[in-house]
Amino acid sequence: MPEMMKLGIVLMSVSLVAAVALGLVNGQTAPVIAVQKEMARQAAMTAIASSLSPGDSLAFDSIEVEGLENPYAGVNEALEVVRVSAPPDPEALGYLFLAYGKGYSSTIQTMVAVDLEGVVTGSIILYQGETPGLGANVAQPDRLIGRLAGLTGGECLLKKDGGTIDAMTGCTITSRAVVGSVADGLESMRGAGLFGPAPVGGAS
Amino acid sequence: MNAAMLLSALLSAPGGEGSGFDIGRMMAIIFAAIFVNNFVLSRFLGICPFIGVSKQLDSAIGMGAAVIFVLAMAALGTWVVYYLLLVPMGLGYLSTIAFILIIAALVQLVEMILLKYSPGLYRALGIYLPLITTNCAVLGVSVLNIGERYSLGESVVHAIAAGIGFTLALILMAGLRQKIEMTDIPPSLEGKPIAFIIAGTMSIAFLGFAGMGV
Amino acid sequence: MSLAKDLVNGIFRENPIFRLTLGMCPFLAVTTSVRNALGMGAAAMFVLVCSNFLVSLLRNAIPSKVRIPCYIVIIATFVTLVDMVMNAYLPDLHRALGIFIPLIVVNCIILGRAEGFANRNPVLSSVADGIGMGIGFTLAMVVLASIRELLGNGTWLDINILGEAYTNQPLLIAILAPGAFILLGFILGFFNLMENRKRGRR
Repeated sequence: MPEMMKLGIVLMSVSLVAAVALGLVNGQTAPVIAVQKEMARQAAMTAIASSLSPGDSLAFDSIEVEGLENPYAGVNEALEVVRVSAPPDPEALGYLFLAYGKGYSSTIQTMVAVDLEGVVTGSIILYQGETPGLGANVAQPDRLIGRLAGLTGGECLLKKDGGTIDAMTGCTITSRAVVGSVADGLESMRGAGLFGPAPVGGAS
Repeated sequence: MNAAMLLSALLSAPGGEGSGFDIGRMMAIIFAAIFVNNFVLSRFLGICPFIGVSKQLDSAIGMGAAVIFVLAMAALGTWVVYYLLLVPMGLGYLSTIAFILIIAALVQLVEMILLKYSPGLYRALGIYLPLITTNCAVLGVSVLNIGERYSLGESVVHAIAAGIGFTLALILMAGLRQKIEMTDIPPSLEGKPIAFIIAGTMSIAFLGFAGMGV
Repeated sequence: MSLAKDLVNGIFRENPIFRLTLGMCPFLAVTTSVRNALGMGAAAMFVLVCSNFLVSLLRNAIPSKVRIPCYIVIIATFVTLVDMVMNAYLPDLHRALGIFIPLIVVNCIILGRAEGFANRNPVLSSVADGIGMGIGFTLAMVVLASIRELLGNGTWLDINILGEAYTNQPLLIAILAPGAFILLGFILGFFNLMENRKRGRR
């Protein structure tokens, strides 16, 4: 019995020292991580919101929308909508939202800027953990993510699903995740009455 | 809170909005873990035992069974410890240490059980039994369950499916390697090199599942 | 056992990947680009050296019966440290390496060296061994990553070598899962061939 105690104490002391050391490092790094995440988010928001109103300094307000369905229940994230305006004019210029799509090896986060008629004006990948050199290319502006501008929710589909967007070679799952999540988000927002009547014929 | 409510809360947290027990999602998880994202051939988890134990069919099956059991128990244990202990205390960063200790303890337990009830299998698995502790698949599944925010039920199902996928790959490999023993291979490719090349061809085959919209 | 010998041992004679066939999982998964391979190699080497150091330092203080759990805690602590620091200061690399950072804990190389070398050798030798094994591991990964990135993406360390046309239509399989297995098989076969030739067989 005393031997068990001794073994247990040794293991516990090692673990205790380890836990304390990690606690200290965590205290240092956790705030840095949080700040970085926020900065990345802000940078993305500014980058695509400029497509709504180039050159103006913009204000972002998180809004609560009544009757907004969560299209991302499968990934447990709620649809958050940010209202964009150019102070001092209080009129809304458009909205930003974050779309979550289950990709091949990660949940891809796409930030989308959409105008008041429900037409996408810009989009950017905020987070993806897909295969480097393959699915990861979805984040490059001259590939998939750049093709979403000018589409409404109903048009946001891959060619193989009846729409106009080319999937990337060998990355059907990744392409579908991004396109599908954006389409779902747009539909949900339209269902909550955020958009005016859709423009006839699509692209503006 | 009575037992049924507690059980249902456990099974569905952290999946919000009362996602409860969604059979469709379960089937998607199972299919993905076994075929689309096979743990060995696609995610590269569990390679060491995959190459080491796949020479004989019976030890492959025994190893597979042991791994499925450890995977399921580990998923259960790590999920409970993470969501009911570490997160409420704000100690999420201790998850790696906690998880690996839980897994090590579980493997010890399995060793004791096997020694008592199936010494033949215990001997056949040899050094590879304690090595289940360092099997990337076991720790990998636990970390993935947290990352994908699966509920308790989904985590365990995911783990079992991962184990089945691992066992499937192991059995296929063992069968192929037993056949290869009888054929003529260039001497420099004998042993591990040809095993990896076979694994590569199997991986190509499994890539065929990648297009399925799961 | 001189220090230099301990160091060079891990690079060639007992290269953890090509000779001991340990640490396969991260080796195959992370070698899709040379940058990721270098990052993972550096992280693994850091953990290896630190854990070898501590295990060797405490080798007489930790009773034998509880040594494996203690080694595991020590290794896991350094891995968590690397994880946190990378997340804070190298977020791109952290995201690229993903799940394989916590998986450094179960990298057979690290526990293998702790159990097989550091717990019975003095501190300096253990550190040298750790550095040597770390370099060997990183070198092996860079070799495979170079082949995979070049064939599968036409680049090396993000520098385009094979031209734009190649990058648009590369040998995709090299960067996908099967490519890793097959290429490793051929590399191991190649080393076997060299070994056999040296011994006079064919």
